[in-house]
Amino acid sequence: MEEKAMEYINKIDDMGGVIPAIENGFLQKEIADSAYKYQKELENKERILVGVNEYTVEEDWVPLKLLRISPDIETEQLAGLQKMKKERNNLKVKKVLEKLHDAADRDANLMPTIIEAVKAYATLGEIVNVLRNVFGEYQELIVI
Amino acid sequence: MSSKRRIRVVVAKPGLDSHDRGAKIVARALRDAGMEIIYTGLRQTPEQIVETALQEDVDVIALSILSGAHLALFPRIMDLVKQKELDNILVFAGGIIPKEDIPSLKKIGIAQVFGPGTRTQTLVKFILENVQKRK
Repeated sequence: MEEKAMEYINKIDDMGGVIPAIENGFLQKEIADSAYKYQKELENKERILVGVNEYTVEEDWVPLKLLRISPDIETEQLAGLQKMKKERNNLKVKKVLEKLHDAADRDANLMPTIIEAVKAYATLGEIVNVLRNVFGEYQELIVI
Repeated sequence: MSSKRRIRVVVAKPGLDSHDRGAKIVARALRDAGMEIIYTGLRQTPEQIVETALQEDVDVIALSILSGAHLALFPRIMDLVKQKELDNILVFAGGIIPKEDIPSLKKIGIAQVFGPGTRTQTLVKFILENVQKRK
């Protein structure tokens, strides 16, 4: 087992470590392979899971009391957001977001500027969009 | 050589949840059953999903959602499906969807909703029985 583990670790090392192994999809594929194998084993009963594929009972469905969020809350939140955006000092917001953009460009510590932006009532969306413009978004490597 | 076209399926993850284990298992099982699979990846908007379905000329849209946003996202997907006149596509869903939500999803055109514990062969059979035959 120790040998097998080492073999696996060496395989990943040979790719240049864990980060390259994620970037080339190796780890995602390993996880998907193992998930699919597990599912097939359950369905073929090569693997028994009590209550799942053996010794199961007829499902006794009890309706759960689910927490349903009323759409009114969304409307209220949006109205509050619009009001806040009207009442804050928008020039100040604009300036601090520019400062944040600049800090992100320089790869500087972002936290002080983010705190400043929050205190100026910049929204989370506005702050994140600045960073998204500079750094881009996570691009998923499609592995199935 | 058979001239029969293989069934084309887009497996899509609408919304913000990242639980793709189920979607990937379904994608593989359908592929092993001889279907052609297009997997969209995570965080797809209704527009992206329907656009992919259109571009890829699919017969089936398989939606996987575990975020609880199905009542917000599925009607938008089905509206777009109708708008683009893709009504002949079989649309079904899986994930964590409360039983009491299923009737309203069926009303908007979701053919079936599958929950946890569904066997992959059940899905294969469902598609084979319900996909619209093309001429």
